[in-house]
Amino acid sequence: MLTVWLCRDGSPWSRSISFYFQLGLIVIAMRVLFRIVFNLADASDDVLLRLPSVSVSLGFGNSIHLLGSVSSLSMHSALVDGFRLAAIILSVGMANSLANPRKLLRSTPGALYEVATAISIAINLAPQLIASLKLVRRARGLRGHSKGIKSLTGIVIPVLEDTIDKSMQLAASMSARGFGRRGNRTSLQLLTTRISSSVTLILLTVGVAMLLFSPAEQIIDLTVIAVGLLSAFVTVRVSSNRSTRTRFIVQRWQVADLIVIMTSGLFLVASFSGVLSQ
Amino acid sequence: MIELRNLSFSYLNSDGKQKSEDPQLSRVNLKVAQGEFALVCGPTGSGKSTLLKALNGLAPSFTGGVISGELLINGTNLIGAEPHEFSHLVAYVNQQPEGAFVADVVLDEIVYGAEQLAVSKEQIASDVARLSKILALDELLDRPLSSLSGGQQQRVSIAASLIAGAKILLLDEPTSALDLQGASEVLKILHKLSREEGVTVLLAEHRISRVIGAVDSVVVVHGDGSVTKGKPAEQFNDARFAPPIIELGQKLGWQPLATTNAQAADLWQGSPAPFSTKSVIAQGKLVLETKDLEVSFGTVRAVQSTNLQLFGNQITALMGENGSGKTSLCWAIQGSGTRTKGQVITSAGDPKTLSIEERLSIVTMVPQRSADLLFLPTLADELHESDVFAQVEPGSTAALFQKIAGRIDTAIHPRDLSAGQQLSLVLALQLVKNAPVVILDEPTRGLDYAAKRALARALNVLRSDNRCVLLATHDIEFVAMVADRVLVLNEGAIVQDSSPTEILGSGHDLASQLAEITNAPGLITIEQVNQ
Repeated sequence: MLTVWLCRDGSPWSRSISFYFQLGLIVIAMRVLFRIVFNLADASDDVLLRLPSVSVSLGFGNSIHLLGSVSSLSMHSALVDGFRLAAIILSVGMANSLANPRKLLRSTPGALYEVATAISIAINLAPQLIASLKLVRRARGLRGHSKGIKSLTGIVIPVLEDTIDKSMQLAASMSARGFGRRGNRTSLQLLTTRISSSVTLILLTVGVAMLLFSPAEQIIDLTVIAVGLLSAFVTVRVSSNRSTRTRFIVQRWQVADLIVIMTSGLFLVASFSGVLSQ
Repeated sequence: MIELRNLSFSYLNSDGKQKSEDPQLSRVNLKVAQGEFALVCGPTGSGKSTLLKALNGLAPSFTGGVISGELLINGTNLIGAEPHEFSHLVAYVNQQPEGAFVADVVLDEIVYGAEQLAVSKEQIASDVARLSKILALDELLDRPLSSLSGGQQQRVSIAASLIAGAKILLLDEPTSALDLQGASEVLKILHKLSREEGVTVLLAEHRISRVIGAVDSVVVVHGDGSVTKGKPAEQFNDARFAPPIIELGQKLGWQPLATTNAQAADLWQGSPAPFSTKSVIAQGKLVLETKDLEVSFGTVRAVQSTNLQLFGNQITALMGENGSGKTSLCWAIQGSGTRTKGQVITSAGDPKTLSIEERLSIVTMVPQRSADLLFLPTLADELHESDVFAQVEPGSTAALFQKIAGRIDTAIHPRDLSAGQQLSLVLALQLVKNAPVVILDEPTRGLDYAAKRALARALNVLRSDNRCVLLATHDIEFVAMVADRVLVLNEGAIVQDSSPTEILGSGHDLASQLAEITNAPGLITIEQVNQ
């Protein structure tokens, strides 16, 4: 979190972190609230909060008990669950606010260029949606409120139309400026690049999944990941050599980038060793 | 060089069949020479954009539809090729530069096109140096794109589109979002590119009055599928898009018509026509008053402390460059925009403190992005919803809409309306609420002269029942046509408040074309000239 705070670059993406932070807090609060309302009685008698128990009969099956005594044990587990979810949301948010998608597009190896473009446009959508949402909501106020479902479509439809228009406009501009040229690559070369990058992705995904779900056979898992990494290296190397683009400006590593990489690496190692030691 | 032979283009119906009865372009034959500067014009929705997009493959690649015929660029037939196969031959620039930007920084944006084509680094460096000199971007290369003005952004997108070596430049209304200064910067550069660099320029524009003197030829897209090309003086038989200079020539029977202000001024001096003074309509009672109204965003003061009185039966134009605070002031008066200090007084109280329904009964507004107000699947639904909401007799909105825009099939989707028709629809939805204060923010963007005249008629009708209209715009000719009073905003402060004949008169920065030509005090619009 501190790293993110220090390394933000003042672009619109970097401001989205507070939104994710608030979302995280809401998730924790909801988790706790739900646990209090739909309170499951447990054996623990370490009672934290005593609330009157309410039974609601739904007309079939057993009636449901709401509220009642809340034990500190259930509170603890609710908080842990909430924090876990919030941590995931915050991680996504931190990645989103640090990685300027346009810089990302510049820094990817030639072989992954098409994929990177698709991803960066997808990431681009979120802040654009938020900006467009604000404008449309203000404009809606000028038209007045419709009742019921219409008031929702009144916001959703213009926002979606606007976002799609903008994405199409960007795509048209990229295409008109030469994006998507095959250059002197043959279709066979294109095919091999595509196959080898797909194989790489599958290997890496399967390897990580195996490591997380069946940590017993570590040697096999690590071998799969190692092969995946090797194949990634080869694919990127080979197809970047055939690249049909110039890099006029090469992105240089800066201190902030190193700090981000190091802190993320640290957490990665810590969590993996956590998984392995279990 | 561009040559079209029997080029046809039409969109597909939803069932995938060709719309044969309504082609956008039908058997077009057209030649544009190397280094020619051609203006592409025609009524709103006639297919100017489609013609330009067809010249670099964006139509049908990004628009859908079917294209046929021959499209020769430097002698090679490129019909049916993808847009990226044109990028070293044809450059394309559209209305909103910020929507087309791929990078964050000026230099990155400019080199993008050359990188895609694997141009060598040395070549890119020399091209960047050359283009940034022509387009006056030397000082801006390391600036973030978002920190540039609209005119600067548009110059960056022109440089970015030309970097791959294209000698043909297509521009789709590049100045429509720019203020006067930004627009004239861009036009000057286009002229230079065609004269000094031999670039063929095809410029689609609505603000013809500022361009017509500089172009070699005029291409007219008529809207029935046909396209004609000729000298500027021969091409304006259609009054739907004739600029004031042509209207003046037609009214006074000049043969041949003058196309530059200097020519027209000579002809006028030779035999000036009589003209009537602009009629002044009695101003009504005070409708709205601002008291020390101030808007700041962070440390930026968008609107300085403003004390403004708006009167009934009066159309007040709010002019000023981009970023001078026009839009902020409109939203602050309307009540839902940011307001740092001050208040707005109306008969029902300050709009900011009212509920949304109460506010709408006092102030209605048509914002810049007027299409944001439309959300239903058909025109009929929108009109009906509006009647229900405004609690007026069923059919009232439809009647008003028809008065402004003419008869239109109500089964179509509002997004399929042209820009002018969409604006007319939003205008009808907002005006039917019958509020005493009407605020319009840049309503003439993308409208041809005929649509502007229709809008002017609609606004004239509003000048009754002690209603007041506030009109924020760059459009000098439109202001000359409708306004009773003009306010000029500069850096958030009202620096001028006077009659249109004063502010748009000859010798001023905001002089209308007629004032510039005739140099006659008090004459600003063609309506005043008697035959």
